[in-house]
Amino acid sequence: MSNEPSVERGPWSLALRRFLRNRLAVAFLGVFLLIVVFVLAAPLWADHVAETGPNQEHTVEQITVDGEKKDVVSVEGKPIGPQWFAAGGKFFLGADGRIGRDEMVRLMYGGRTSLLVGISAALLATILAIVLGLLAGYFGGWVDSLIARTLDVIWSLPVFLIGLAVGIALAVGGLKIGPLELSSGSLWNPILIISIFTVPYIARPIRGEVLALSRKEFVEAAIAQGASPVRVMFTEILPNLASTVIVFFALMIANSMLFEAGLSFLGAGVQPPNSSWGTMITVGVELLRIQPLLAILPGLMIMLTVLSLNIVGDALRDALDPRGKARLDAALEFEAQSGATQPVGEATLP
Amino acid sequence: MKKPAALIAVLVLAALATIGLSSCGGGDDTSGGSGKQGGILNATYASFPDYMDPALSYTAEGWTAMADVYIPLLAYKHANGEEGGEVMPGLAKEMPKISNGGKTYTLFLRPGLKYSDGTPVKASDFPASLERMIALNSPGSPFYLTIEGAEKFAETKKGPIPGIETNDKTGEIVINLESPRGTFTNELGMMFASVVPQDTPVEDLSANPPPATGPYMITKSQPGKGWEYKRNPYWAKANGKAMPDLPAGVVDGAKITVVRNEQSQVDDVEQGTYDWMQNPPPSSRYAEVKEKFEGTQFRVEPTISTYYFWMNTQEPPFDDVKVRQAVNHAVDPKALERIYAGQLTASKQILPPGMPSYKEFEPYPYDLAEAERLMKEANPSDMDITVWTDAESPNNEAGEYFNEVLKELGFNTTLKIVNADNFTTVTGNESTPNLDAGWSNWFEDYPHPNDFFQPLLAGESIQPTNNYNNAYFDDPGVNKKIKELAEEQLGPEQEEAYAKLDEEIMELAPWAPFGNRTVSTFVSDEIDLDSVIFNPTFGHYLSSFEFK
Repeated sequence: MSNEPSVERGPWSLALRRFLRNRLAVAFLGVFLLIVVFVLAAPLWADHVAETGPNQEHTVEQITVDGEKKDVVSVEGKPIGPQWFAAGGKFFLGADGRIGRDEMVRLMYGGRTSLLVGISAALLATILAIVLGLLAGYFGGWVDSLIARTLDVIWSLPVFLIGLAVGIALAVGGLKIGPLELSSGSLWNPILIISIFTVPYIARPIRGEVLALSRKEFVEAAIAQGASPVRVMFTEILPNLASTVIVFFALMIANSMLFEAGLSFLGAGVQPPNSSWGTMITVGVELLRIQPLLAILPGLMIMLTVLSLNIVGDALRDALDPRGKARLDAALEFEAQSGATQPVGEATLP
Repeated sequence: MKKPAALIAVLVLAALATIGLSSCGGGDDTSGGSGKQGGILNATYASFPDYMDPALSYTAEGWTAMADVYIPLLAYKHANGEEGGEVMPGLAKEMPKISNGGKTYTLFLRPGLKYSDGTPVKASDFPASLERMIALNSPGSPFYLTIEGAEKFAETKKGPIPGIETNDKTGEIVINLESPRGTFTNELGMMFASVVPQDTPVEDLSANPPPATGPYMITKSQPGKGWEYKRNPYWAKANGKAMPDLPAGVVDGAKITVVRNEQSQVDDVEQGTYDWMQNPPPSSRYAEVKEKFEGTQFRVEPTISTYYFWMNTQEPPFDDVKVRQAVNHAVDPKALERIYAGQLTASKQILPPGMPSYKEFEPYPYDLAEAERLMKEANPSDMDITVWTDAESPNNEAGEYFNEVLKELGFNTTLKIVNADNFTTVTGNESTPNLDAGWSNWFEDYPHPNDFFQPLLAGESIQPTNNYNNAYFDDPGVNKKIKELAEEQLGPEQEEAYAKLDEEIMELAPWAPFGNRTVSTFVSDEIDLDSVIFNPTFGHYLSSFEFK
């Protein structure tokens, strides 16, 4: 038996190694990062290539394509199609509709909006879920009952329909509660709607984990040493939730983006003239027959982003909690054999 | 030189055609042209009308749907274009006799008229119908409040209205007005003045419309989904004989289905699933449909309408006439023609072509430099504004365009796009915050210029709710002229005065008008396009459709 100390790797390092071994996930992480770079480059493209803003109209303007003058929007209201680099990068993907805005510029700025709403809503929902999950799981009793039942109520609501109704109301009147005032076109409106309605999807599994963790010896030891509940929750339990939170956060970004796209498509999310990929699909659908790319491109961008985040999220879960995957696989196998219902502790995302 | 045999053949054909044509016209014959008699018209609307009750409906869809069902005392000629603006007797025997300095209107009901349920139409049904309409707080009430006692009735909802006297035996109807009203003849021909039985419940009857007086009756109505027509059995027996000038219709009935997807509507009409779509094809399909079917299944119809952007003249920054004039110079109607995909003709004045008194002028040619100069001169301190538009395409795009124009002028704008169903309610309610500027349109209620000035630009029309004077325009000089002209019967002198008023108001620029809309008739290849009548007030007449 050797007395040489073995090289011990930390849990994060092990997780990274496991994640990197998943080539599909690494590839899709690359795709996601490319998308992020693409949308962050929006001002550069707008200022130096397209020479127009995302909301700037060019209805009656003409551009020079290979030395020939072309209407951005024809007299019959047909927008110009993709010009690629024939007009020096202007109207690279054509005009977005009868107002004659540059589709490429709007796609890039729209992506910024979609990602901003998705990440902000997921972040807000995750923070709220952590706080609620910790309180419910740690204190138990009436606190748990109150929080759990409230989450159940939100869970049982037809989330999208209510989100749609609230979104339409906020889109017209904005929001004013005490000092909090949001104008009707504020991006905070869809962010708040999405985050509030998606809290239960993270808070419930977190509560379950906190319930289990709060009975562990290290927690009892901390309490015995006189640590306050807040200290126990945030310094003892919370670090142990990291893997769950990271996985859910990645998946929630994808779900929030889909939620935003749906709300915006129906006029209850991001408000014109601002673009998001959801609002761009709305404009594109009307012109589907004459300029199908106008609907397809933002749809494709949403699909790629959501797919990337879902694959990365799954890979993160496998990497951060391999036993969790084994447990899940066993539970799924059991379910398949016995016809049992949803495995305990497994949350279904909207 | 023509060959004699060919000449003889032409003469024989001409004679046969003359015989054929002469057998089609006149009296109570149900034929309207050379098409096939009978058949059920299968048609589609993009939305259900606001109401399927003549007392309440105030939309083009509603009036089109009920134009051949409910006949007022006076009616409009079943004709295309300007000819369709001619008022003619409806249930009344002849045009009203106007006396007492324009304050008394005397009419006589045609004898022998019956509702579609067999009940005789009585002279006393007319005041009862008006009372029902006013009691329902109909948007049509203001047109009839000059009748003596009508205003009090509107407040108390207790009748009868003393200004209307009737005699059921003679059919005489005498209407006394408090002051002369030059538009009252037109208003007696509005859908709101349709005559329904006295015992008709005072409630919205959209799901169970009242009995008809016209050639068709509504046999089934499912709000939101559709409705059906059949021939009114008492048209052939009674009303048709009493009103020979009104057509009996060719088809035996119609089934209307609401299809909210306009793209599907176009496909369905193209494939013959539906025989006609009431609304125009969507802007994205308009050019394609026009190119493919114009002349055979498609026709462009001019409307008497004005599309405009309003500015709130009572609040900064638009309380400054220079700012409003700057906006007028900055709006480019050519851009809006493209946004409306060729379904709009550029114009920068209030009265539209086709309206009596219309005299073309261009007060504010597109000139961005001039707009910027005026803005500099005005130097408004409040630059934060909210722009309102409805969500229906391409109106939403017109609103977005206006928003960008205002941004270019230096305003900090917030764009609010409101569902088309609620748009007029929201923008017509003074409690809605930040009603600074927005999109709107107006289609004629009747061919009289007062219909554009009184409800939209007279100070007295500003109301806390259901306000159509979105510009909150209240100029004492203009108010006085509108009031004076409204009391006179329309003649050449008045037409000249209305044309001048158009120019005077545009100098004060409460609106930035940008065009006049065209709509269209699109039918399947089974329908005879030439027979279809589009009336500028009532739209397409069901009675004019014929299968080939």
